[in-house]
Amino acid sequence: MSGSNAGAIVTVPEIAVIDEVREEIEDVRTFFFSFEKPEIAKSFRIKSGQFVMCTVFGAGEFAVSLPFSPEGDRPHLSVRQVGKVTRALHELKAGDKIGLRGPFGNGFPFEAIRGKNVIYVAGGIGLIPLRSSIVHVLQHRQDFGRILLIYGSKSSQELMYRDMIAKWQATEGFETYITIDRPEPGWKGQVGFVHTLVGPAKVPVENTIAFVCGPPLMFNSVIKELLAAGLKDDAIVSTLERHMKCGIGKCQHCAIGRTLVCTDGPVYTYRQIKTLGEQI
Amino acid sequence: MYILPRNQVPALTAALAEDYDLYGPVLRPGGGDPMFERAADPAAIRMDAAISYNPPKSAVFPQAERILSYRYDRESREAVLVRDDLVRPKALVGIRACDLTGLLCLDRFYLGQEYVDEVYRDHRKKMFIVANTCVRPFPQCFCVCTDSGPAPREGFDVALTGVGDDYLFETGSEKGEALARKLGLKEAGPDAAALKAKTVDESIARFDAEATENKAWISRVMNRITMGFIGNDVWEYIGDQCFECGACSFVCPTCSCFNIEDVNTRDGMTDRMRSWDSCSFEGYTRMAGDHNPRKPVEDRRNKRFFCKLSFSQSKKYLRPGCVGCGRCARVCPGDIGLPNVVTYIRREITKAGAK
Repeated sequence: MSGSNAGAIVTVPEIAVIDEVREEIEDVRTFFFSFEKPEIAKSFRIKSGQFVMCTVFGAGEFAVSLPFSPEGDRPHLSVRQVGKVTRALHELKAGDKIGLRGPFGNGFPFEAIRGKNVIYVAGGIGLIPLRSSIVHVLQHRQDFGRILLIYGSKSSQELMYRDMIAKWQATEGFETYITIDRPEPGWKGQVGFVHTLVGPAKVPVENTIAFVCGPPLMFNSVIKELLAAGLKDDAIVSTLERHMKCGIGKCQHCAIGRTLVCTDGPVYTYRQIKTLGEQI
Repeated sequence: MYILPRNQVPALTAALAEDYDLYGPVLRPGGGDPMFERAADPAAIRMDAAISYNPPKSAVFPQAERILSYRYDRESREAVLVRDDLVRPKALVGIRACDLTGLLCLDRFYLGQEYVDEVYRDHRKKMFIVANTCVRPFPQCFCVCTDSGPAPREGFDVALTGVGDDYLFETGSEKGEALARKLGLKEAGPDAAALKAKTVDESIARFDAEATENKAWISRVMNRITMGFIGNDVWEYIGDQCFECGACSFVCPTCSCFNIEDVNTRDGMTDRMRSWDSCSFEGYTRMAGDHNPRKPVEDRRNKRFFCKLSFSQSKKYLRPGCVGCGRCARVCPGDIGLPNVVTYIRREITKAGAK
């Protein structure tokens, strides 16, 4: 996976205004934003699967995936508060400003997968980085074969983008398999870990690409199931997360194996991941 | 090529001081290794000083520096960001071949990849380099093993080679030529090139007897490190001796990892500071939420040697990442400077071959 990012905002962040803050699940909020300068808003072009470096003024900068589609989707970030900088972000309200650099990274394949069946498998907030690709592929529904989303979280309250999923479920030919770890009163969907749904979903194998994102345990068991179903290791794609400081291949914090997640990734095929020689 | 009499070195530094801040090997009162640092007094730079304790890296990549500053007013919600280029022109005087090679590695890494590091570029773009041939090695040196010395080959404006009472003054750029003219140097004779070659050959011949602290035949281990054909017990043996102090990274001419933190200053501004970091620190890969993909020390140690000696990393430097200065071996509180690590791995290869 590779790509060039001509036009990225490299050193000095561009200022963006938070237009709206939405509660998603516990500790996760979505921040809709628009760039202060109209020319930046116009020139800021992304590929699904890329990321930005987000400055929370007075607190610092962090790397975060882009959940919106490259085409006609409202720009936003969905962020879990988990450390100093993301906690500071969660204190911001509509009208506050943030700084953004990017977009960086290679991104998910899109042109290369036209005509294929597409499987999305996500665990917890692993749905956030996949959202961009899902929306983009659905915007071009007629170019793809079967489209499946296999998604699970700890509880029904911890499922991301629930309204969105409801809309997706109404899209013709979009198959969803949603599960939670333990039974809950009133829950009518599946119960169990995400990987247990790969078999029952009778996933396509030929001419198929699978996108997988979630915590390491979930990732490993899903991969096992997909390989058992017959998918090849280069037909499975994931996006990796690492501590990052610069986003442009210099600080080297995100080194994994012989690659840097910021410039060689964050999107890797499972064939590549196997050869990195490090824990994901 | 020109001739610079040894007693004219002060004229050279004085001429450069008119246009540049000078950095070079500076002797310290009380003796000890010279430090490669900013010299307020041009005469403090000594071409005859020993190899410096530290590399010249901090002249282009300071230990801590501001890369951005901003003010954000929470009431008016106004944000102002400033990236000022306050870097003054610098002259590195008396840089040795190993360190110049290290500088070129940094250039290729910071300037030659997909993105250009603009902060590094600011340091580098207004620079004058006077390199110094090592006419004899120091005990720690192994640049002949790493193909980075003892004579500078590229990347200099002027290269000096001490011969008798003179320096051969070789220019590598138009800026260097201009300096020769300014100093009114006389042209060297037709035998100058041969004289230089002979001097360098003599220096190389001295390594066996005089550069005895370190040997590192890195070519034998590069393939192993690249392919990962090194037993975990070797890395554990190495990891057991690592104090995780980061000293090897800090004195390495090519180590360039950094951290970035935003620091709120007393005047209501925020400084975005970048500072040296080291892959030997446990927190280096730790993510918010406390997930750390690299845990045991040997897991982190092998990354540093991968960075110095793998083919994949060499593609970024266009050569191995080790330049043979021997500094890591001098500062390591354990016994795992790079030359020793190479020795441990070679021993392992020999053992495997004997099986």
